[in-house]
Amino acid sequence: MEDIVAELEHLKKSFGTKDVLKDINVTLKKGENLVVLGKSGSGKSVLIKCLVGLIDPDDGKAVLFGKNISELQNHELNLLRKRVGFLFQSAALYDSMTVRENLEFPLRDLKDQDKTDTEALIREALKNVGLEEAIDKMPSELSGGMIKRVGLARTLILKPEIILYDEPTTGLDPITSKEISNLILEVQRKYSTASIIITHDVACARITANRIIIIKDGIFIAEGTFGELSSSEDEWIRSFFI
Amino acid sequence: MESYPAEYLFTKSLKGFFEEVGQLSRFAARFFREVVKPPYEFKALMNQSYIIGYKSLPLIAITGLIMGMVLTIQSRPTMAQFGAESWLPGMVSISIIREIGPVIAALIFAGKVGSGIGAELASMKVTEQIDAMEVSGLNPFKFLVVTRVAATTLMLPVLVIASDAISLFGCFLAVNLKGDISFHLFFTQVFSSVTFNDVFPALIKTFFFGFSVGIIGCYKGYNSVKGTEGVGAAANSAVVIGSLAVFIIDMIAVQLTSLFN
Ligand SMILES: Nc1ncnc2c1ncn2[C@@H]1O[C@H](COP(=O)(O)OP(=O)(O)OP(=O)(O)O)[C@@H](O)[C@H]1O
Ligand SMILES: [Mg+2]
Repeated sequence: MEDIVAELEHLKKSFGTKDVLKDINVTLKKGENLVVLGKSGSGKSVLIKCLVGLIDPDDGKAVLFGKNISELQNHELNLLRKRVGFLFQSAALYDSMTVRENLEFPLRDLKDQDKTDTEALIREALKNVGLEEAIDKMPSELSGGMIKRVGLARTLILKPEIILYDEPTTGLDPITSKEISNLILEVQRKYSTASIIITHDVACARITANRIIIIKDGIFIAEGTFGELSSSEDEWIRSFFI
Repeated sequence: MESYPAEYLFTKSLKGFFEEVGQLSRFAARFFREVVKPPYEFKALMNQSYIIGYKSLPLIAITGLIMGMVLTIQSRPTMAQFGAESWLPGMVSISIIREIGPVIAALIFAGKVGSGIGAELASMKVTEQIDAMEVSGLNPFKFLVVTRVAATTLMLPVLVIASDAISLFGCFLAVNLKGDISFHLFFTQVFSSVTFNDVFPALIKTFFFGFSVGIIGCYKGYNSVKGTEGVGAAANSAVVIGSLAVFIIDMIAVQLTSLFN
């Protein structure tokens, strides 16, 4: 059992009268890429935000590295969060900071790192997403896809043990999408990270997924490998893979 | 359209008011908890002080100058009626230092800095930048709120001193419009009528003004609702509530000073 790194149990969340998540159960194992599919507005972003405590669930619990996060003190939760990377759907770059400062920000608490190390880490992270030349630019000078990639670089820079990707390839051209998907795969292989990948991009799901779950009306309605689900009996499920 | 009985609406808004005050107090309490806790964000504090202090200096200086001049020109006829024109520097400087300088500067500060902080933090909230800091395991409250509130608290008194000095200079110019008084004589008159009891309480209250403008701006921005309207609303209520707080604190300060004198 110790290889389960994250877990949601009977998670429920509603906003006003709208029940977004009704009963979500999911386990994430070490070294696994889990892809979550579902229609727009089905609560995928809410789900991963519950997992890191950005949104408090109405019921049920979120467990990270064996600890129920709602029972943790603030500083304990922060220690766990440093081991988790989170790519926002909007990338959420700090718009008053340059790309370099954006990438530096997650590193600022690490005292054992000296200046040259930091610089090398930043350059490597940017190189991975193909954006070395953007290091001194402001987010407002970048295109949508570049912003997404800088967000990805910022997520990966701490080499987290769990990574939550919210639509990593949305808004990117097919070639860059494929590069990003391969990067996700490479990160998984190299550091045996566990990831939850929310995506609408079938190609990305095919490349990265070890396991896929589909969310509909607040519950998971199907689970399986890419091959199993794409040849499912259910037409609604199959329609995700066209 | 539904209609509610008047007393229902009244109790509802009263409840909302007290809830808001409660939340704001909790927010302020969190500030005091976190401001003493290391690590200290000196670099960000310096940066914020520069932005907040230096960039509002021109506006506060110009209003200070105009205020000093206008006040002098307005008071002259009344003083002349009593043949007391020679008291003009002393009287105007006391009202500037005690009351008008701090309050006007604080109101302008609420308008410029309070709204800026409200809008900036609100847009960071709306675009999930604050969430992003939080999931990095860092403490955005410390980085964003503590530095800004500390900067407003420390910078407003400095700005008020500058504004007072420039107001006095404006007063000097205006006295010289009709009549002739040397720079030296003017300031001798000013300093012979202004006492420690005028300067000290006035300076103390500016710290409270600065603190309340900062904490209200941050509170409104940090707790802003989604969407672009949220940003506008946060900026707007930061100014309105911030200015109101300045007047309320001023009233309390006046009561307290008269109690101690
Ligand atoms: N903070 C919030 N307050 C109120 N409602 C919210 C909030 N966050 C999300 N919702 C609602 O929850 C539902 C699910 O939102 P969510 O962002 O998780 O969708 P999603 O599955 O990520 O969709 P997409 O694929 O378009 O990103 C939506 O109906 C949304 O309106
Ligand atoms: Mg989403």
